[in-house]
Amino acid sequence: MSHVVVTAVGTDRPGIVAGVTRVFVDMGCNLEDSSMTILGGQFAMMLVVDAPEGVDAAALEAALAGPAADLDLLVAVRPAEAAGADNPPLDDTAPLDDTASWTVSVYGADHPGIVHGIAEPLSAERINICDLGTRVIGDPARPVYAMVMGVSLPRGADPDALAVRLGEVAARLGVDVSLHNSDADIL
Amino acid sequence: MAVRTVLELPDPTLKRQSQTVGRVDDSARAVADDLLDTMRATVACVGLAAPQIGVGIRAFVVDVTGHRKASSCHGELVLFDPEVVAASGPVVAREGCLSVPHLTGDVARASSLVVRGLTLDGTDRVVEVDAFEARAVLHEIDHLDGLLFLDRVSSPEALFRRKVYR
Repeated sequence: MSHVVVTAVGTDRPGIVAGVTRVFVDMGCNLEDSSMTILGGQFAMMLVVDAPEGVDAAALEAALAGPAADLDLLVAVRPAEAAGADNPPLDDTAPLDDTASWTVSVYGADHPGIVHGIAEPLSAERINICDLGTRVIGDPARPVYAMVMGVSLPRGADPDALAVRLGEVAARLGVDVSLHNSDADIL
Repeated sequence: MAVRTVLELPDPTLKRQSQTVGRVDDSARAVADDLLDTMRATVACVGLAAPQIGVGIRAFVVDVTGHRKASSCHGELVLFDPEVVAASGPVVAREGCLSVPHLTGDVARASSLVVRGLTLDGTDRVVEVDAFEARAVLHEIDHLDGLLFLDRVSSPEALFRRKVYR
């Protein structure tokens, strides 16, 4: 079994999930992680599938050509890189017992550069962004940008210092930011 | 008295409706003892329901002593045939479950409860719980009805991989 990454994007309509996943069933692939959502009227699918022996990314791409044409989807397929010494698992599939989950909320008058402005200092501190969603809301004449990101703080990272740092960046960007812990309680 | 193995998804026992105890006898008390032993032996465990150790009776234990989010705290709370008499003030918070080890989810639950049930000595008890203790009690009662937090998660965005293994 090998992991293959598939992305597919197209104008939202009923039948996209059924059409694409039928190919995986026919090819004997198992759908592992996936995230699918509507972004500005475009249905965006990101998936990692487990492909059986003999089915590689090229074969899967060829098989997806049918539904891609029928549903007018832009499809991309590539093998998933295996984690290794040169490519340590930074993603949230690894049991990162040294990290804590925090949520960063950012909102303010919409203008270019907000996501990058917040992501840059996180990157500098080696803080991994695990989830990120943004929305433009409110009156089109005075749009408001809202962003929520899930981040994992490495051991030793100081959330208070990070909050101060993000506050400085947010002030410069003219947006508000807050940081709150989102570790779950195990019941 | 023993520390028992906590069943994990997809064990079908977790999805079954548990049976009413009716009268608290020695066998029911033995189950509660095992639940208490298992809860005490498990790091960061604040509650456990009988189906989680493979017993299909309506019994749970909860202990939120020392938890930072706790307000009311009844120490080791053991109830059979629990019944929610009144509930108010839904609050959304992220929770996980020993029986669903790799995921967490944002779940809305009442933050103030009146719960009635039978104690270890078989007497009727009415308790008022709030905040984290209320969440824990509702989570455990759900187990007695074959419900997991996964059945209560509000949206796909509210489901997360569990990043902190305690």
